[in-house]
Amino acid sequence: MSSIDGAAIKKVVIACDAGMGSSVMVASQLAKRLKPYSVSVSHTPVNDIPDDADVVLCQSTLLARARKSTGDTVVLGFQSFLGDPVFDRVEAAIRDGGSLDD
Amino acid sequence: MLTADGIHLGRAATGRDDAIDQCGRALLDLGAVEVDYLAAMHEREASLSTFIGEGVAIPHGTDQSRQFVKRTTLVVLQFPDGVDWGSGNTVKVCVGIAANGSEQVGILSALAHVLMDGDKAERLRSAADTRTVLDLLQSIDEENSQ
Repeated sequence: MSSIDGAAIKKVVIACDAGMGSSVMVASQLAKRLKPYSVSVSHTPVNDIPDDADVVLCQSTLLARARKSTGDTVVLGFQSFLGDPVFDRVEAAIRDGGSLDD
Repeated sequence: MLTADGIHLGRAATGRDDAIDQCGRALLDLGAVEVDYLAAMHEREASLSTFIGEGVAIPHGTDQSRQFVKRTTLVVLQFPDGVDWGSGNTVKVCVGIAANGSEQVGILSALAHVLMDGDKAERLRSAADTRTVLDLLQSIDEENSQ
């Protein structure tokens, strides 16, 4: 289990298998929500997650693959591409501070 | 990237595989992909469903299959009678994606906004002309929009 303080989150990465569809959908929603907090949101294939990501989000079924390369970075899974509760958790931690745990 | 000749309304499909084939062939007809991309679309779907909610799926290939993409292109296929997508999901609209860059981001952002709005999502599912689809999925530039 990893954790990060919401105030330290500057880069959120959304990963999916190909990085061309699903992760783009999620990244676009989160980018809009996190825009007021100057947090960058990007999307990548799950095998190509950048080292400097503060938080990684991916489909729950990809969690194991994502964690292979992310060390102690917080990695959270989502079930729904549209308005998953985990998006609210990430936004709340960034907005209000406090620990975000996976 | 998404043009009127990539929008096919009022289609029928015998099932998920047929719907994905139709998306792949639409991309092929536009010269966006090589034929090998179609197998990658089925491979991707088998490993992880591309159903995203609100009766919409976004079939696309795998990371490895980017080599078969000649031009980043999206197609929209509408199946008014619905297609059984497994896990209790029914799909009425497929947005087929072939991407070798990130030019598709704006349109997928627009799709996300449409699907978060119940009325707009229904307009997409029941669109009777290509103009409606193009208007709903006008590219949004997240970086520069409020």
